Amino acid sequence: MDAHIRKVYIPMTETAFFILLCLREPNHGYGIVQTVEKLTDGVLRLTPGTMYGSLSKMEKDGLIRFIREEEKRKIYQITELGEEILRCEVQRIERLHRIVQETM
Amino acid sequence: METKREWKWFTIYEHEKEQEYLRSMHRSGWKFVRVSGLCIYQFEKCTPEDVIYQLDYNQEGLAHKEEYVQMFRDCGWEYLQDYVGYSYFRKSAAETDGAEEIFCDDQSRLQMMERVFKGRLVPLLVLFCTVILPQIGMQIMMQHYGLAAMYAVIIGIYVWIFVKFALHYKRCRDGN
Repeated sequence: MDAHIRKVYIPMTETAFFILLCLREPNHGYGIVQTVEKLTDGVLRLTPGTMYGSLSKMEKDGLIRFIREEEKRKIYQITELGEEILRCEVQRIERLHRIVQETM
Repeated sequence: METKREWKWFTIYEHEKEQEYLRSMHRSGWKFVRVSGLCIYQFEKCTPEDVIYQLDYNQEGLAHKEEYVQMFRDCGWEYLQDYVGYSYFRKSAAETDGAEEIFCDDQSRLQMMERVFKGRLVPLLVLFCTVILPQIGMQIMMQHYGLAAMYAVIIGIYVWIFVKFALHYKRCRDGN
């Protein structure tokens, strides 16, 4: 994996994390916003400026790819590189979680 | 409908001030209609309401305007207009917890400032190096010190804009 990509995305923002998590299935930006709101019981509300910027950046970096457009909404899906980055991030979070459990 | 115009100058890094200005106008019963020309803000009389105004700077969004605006609309933001590369959005504060923004983390706020830097400050810098700097050299060579002094003032303004922008960027990055 590209060291630069790794440096940029690990650790990643919550927005980036949920984009990768949700795009294991094809979805559009607003679909991700809605899914995250459900998953977090309304605690986390992703915002359109952040969402739009993150989606275009992640597409450029090859973590997600554009599939098609539906009613003026771009549908994306995760790429292999995206899945790899997501796995690394999940491992990082699991490690933190383990340390917290052992020490607190 | 009663309307009014106001001239207001916001420098490149002052979009937050501009948002606050539009919000306070709406709160005092003046609804933003459009900004055009050289910073002429047009308002129409309305019932005072707390409405959040937000500016984004995203050239890629402007290039794919329909889907860009659609995402904001889906999230409940009314799209108003574009002006010198900025897109204007608003949403009633009653629909939110009163503090909603179009960005939800510092990273994306910084990324917007980086886009502003590339889109607005880099062209200024290019203009500076290709036009203003050679002009100063020429005026000094021709001993037109008056004109050279005028260009020196422009340099001063340049430095001021870049320093202010850098300080603002640093403040955002450090989270104050």
